[in-house]
Amino acid sequence: MSNTQELMKIQDLSVEYKTRLGQVSAVDHVSFDIYKGEILGLVGESGCGKSTMGKALMRMIQPPGKITNGQIIFDGKDIMTYDQNQMRSFRGNKVSMIFQDPMTSLNPVQRVDEHVIEAIQVHEPKTKTDAALGRAEILIQKLGIQKRRMNSYPHQLSGGMRQRVMVGLGLVLNANLIIADEATTSLDVIVEAKLADQLRDVREEFGVSLLVITHNIALVAELSDRVAVMYAGHIVEIGDVEPIFDDPLHPYTKGLLDSIPTIKLNEKEELYKMPGEPPNLTHPPSGCRFHPRCPFAMPICSNQEPTLKEISPGRLVKCWLFSEHAEKADTNTEVSS
Amino acid sequence: MEKTKLNNDMTSSAEEVPEWLLDLDKVGFVRRLFLARKWYGGDWWFVAISAVLLIFIIIVGIFPQWFAPYDPRVEVGPSLLAPGETPPSFLLITPLDSGDIRMVDIADKTNNIGFIVGSAASQAMRETVDALNESAPEGVRYQPRQKRYETLDEGLQSLANGEIDGFIVSPEELGESLQNYTSLQVANTLREEGEKGFVFGTNQIGQDVLSRIIWGTRIALIVGLSSAVVSFLIGVPLGLISGFAGGPFDRVLTLLMDSLYSFPGLILAIAIAAVLGAGIGNIIVSIAVLYIPTYYRIVRGQTLSVKKELYVEAARSLGTSWKDILIKYIFPNVIPSVVIIFSVNVGDAILTEAGLSFLGFGLPPDTPDWGIDLARGQDYVRRAWWLITYPGLMVTLVTLSFSMLGESLSEILNPRLTER
Repeated sequence: MSNTQELMKIQDLSVEYKTRLGQVSAVDHVSFDIYKGEILGLVGESGCGKSTMGKALMRMIQPPGKITNGQIIFDGKDIMTYDQNQMRSFRGNKVSMIFQDPMTSLNPVQRVDEHVIEAIQVHEPKTKTDAALGRAEILIQKLGIQKRRMNSYPHQLSGGMRQRVMVGLGLVLNANLIIADEATTSLDVIVEAKLADQLRDVREEFGVSLLVITHNIALVAELSDRVAVMYAGHIVEIGDVEPIFDDPLHPYTKGLLDSIPTIKLNEKEELYKMPGEPPNLTHPPSGCRFHPRCPFAMPICSNQEPTLKEISPGRLVKCWLFSEHAEKADTNTEVSS
Repeated sequence: MEKTKLNNDMTSSAEEVPEWLLDLDKVGFVRRLFLARKWYGGDWWFVAISAVLLIFIIIVGIFPQWFAPYDPRVEVGPSLLAPGETPPSFLLITPLDSGDIRMVDIADKTNNIGFIVGSAASQAMRETVDALNESAPEGVRYQPRQKRYETLDEGLQSLANGEIDGFIVSPEELGESLQNYTSLQVANTLREEGEKGFVFGTNQIGQDVLSRIIWGTRIALIVGLSSAVVSFLIGVPLGLISGFAGGPFDRVLTLLMDSLYSFPGLILAIAIAAVLGAGIGNIIVSIAVLYIPTYYRIVRGQTLSVKKELYVEAARSLGTSWKDILIKYIFPNVIPSVVIIFSVNVGDAILTEAGLSFLGFGLPPDTPDWGIDLARGQDYVRRAWWLITYPGLMVTLVTLSFSMLGESLSEILNPRLTER
């Protein structure tokens, strides 16, 4: 990606859930940027805080969750300081979201056109219904949904169509950022590929940024410009897609990429299984949160938390292997073998 | 040749038989009836039938004067006349020597007129005297003394002895017994046999049962609909807000509603009606209070589940305000389940109103009301079945129509239940 104009700057963001077992830090002091017109993939295991992060970017964390720290700077303004009304006009207008389950993410008693018209009129109350309908029709057709489908209820549409309607709802207000939270997960591979194509077309045509939250690494490789790998509430590696996939630096990223089943795998070679389980976030491991599962763990890893450090331009890794530290001299770990 | 054979095979094969017909063979009769609702579009029929019935009932309720043959509060015929029976005629029997005599001649308050106790003759006499009084000149008032006799013979004997001036009896009762009393004659006919009877008979005070039922429709509809509407208007918003807002407000309200709900329905209504006193407004209030918790609970529960739905969150992510979410997202998804409750409640409210009136807590006693009619009719249930049958039938019919309409409509209108 040559364009590196920041659209959204996330600084030191933390989200905590209060549970009976204690505080769960689902997102822990995360900082990253989303550039204008890019597709950023956010990958990680289930429960690593991806969806929480997505919601936090719109300040949609519901109790018992809470954003406890950090800034989300969008167009130079910190949205954490917005009040309810500002937040409402921010949502949908600037950032919109596509959800995991297309079956339930549309109001079952509203027709497609009503959805779109409502989305327009929420933010532009003066828009006449006819004008809104006109805009909606053009957009919906661009997304490959027939005009006659405008009068359908959600249950009359297929899953892919519904996701496209959701994409349309985000686009109709010219949102700058669309957060797709597992948007393709429940679709079959063919529809998923189509939607991925369409998301890319949408980016090309409307110049929006997309944050694609998924655990489908293949999709990210296909779709994204940059990818951020999340583990246990931390972003452990972030950078352009190709370098990361060609040469993953963080041990977790490596493990994640090795875990992808491929057709080339023969019977002798077994699929790589990462040892251990994702940590319980009520009591996260000390130091680097990945160290209990890390094949390259060093003594320092359990004591001190590494920082997200820029290795090469645009490539950041949060691992002691790539940082200067006191024990560096003692280790003889081969980094990229 | 080959082709036609193939076609024949096709038509006779099992594939030609619709799936539902095959299913139909597997189930019992009752279930077949229920399933038929879906297969034959039975819901539409249910709606059509109950809607026609209800429209008719509502028209009757709005314009009872078009349908009712008589005034429901006035006695228009002999008491306890069976449906379809014509009012019997009555004869005035006098001593032979009094000559051609009419009722007017012996209707002074010094005169005595006899009849068999418990027969309709007393009423016939009263009617005749009333008619005389109406046409009488100023200052003249007819009021003959009444003498009651256990048997016909006693009465005729005392008439022959000159103790009374006249005796009133129906031709059937009289029969041939006048032959035994040579000194007596049939002076004239007190009342001609009525040409037309009463379709549903008359009650114990001679009011037309049909007219009372027709006028009772108005009361039933007013009470049923308005109490259901009142409880709907209070219960639904309360449930919506309580479910949506949550917190202490929700808890207090739920506690309150649950305590209301835990009362046995009719007893609560009786308590409220007894405190408020008689009158149609008070009845409506007491029944409405009874049904508020029903709406509240249903709506609150639905709201709790709907507000967690993804589409509500999606709406929030588009920046929809909470008012819009409540009105456009939660309310329409909650309402289908309430519609059923509403129509069933109308029927139930009519039933409760009838119950209250039956127990005497409801409306003023002369009101034409099904409950009151039922309450009064139960005393005569062995002699006059029609007193309780027809009002009871009406209560059943209206209740059934409302429930049928509500349930079938919700089946049809709910887009989530529509097949793809």
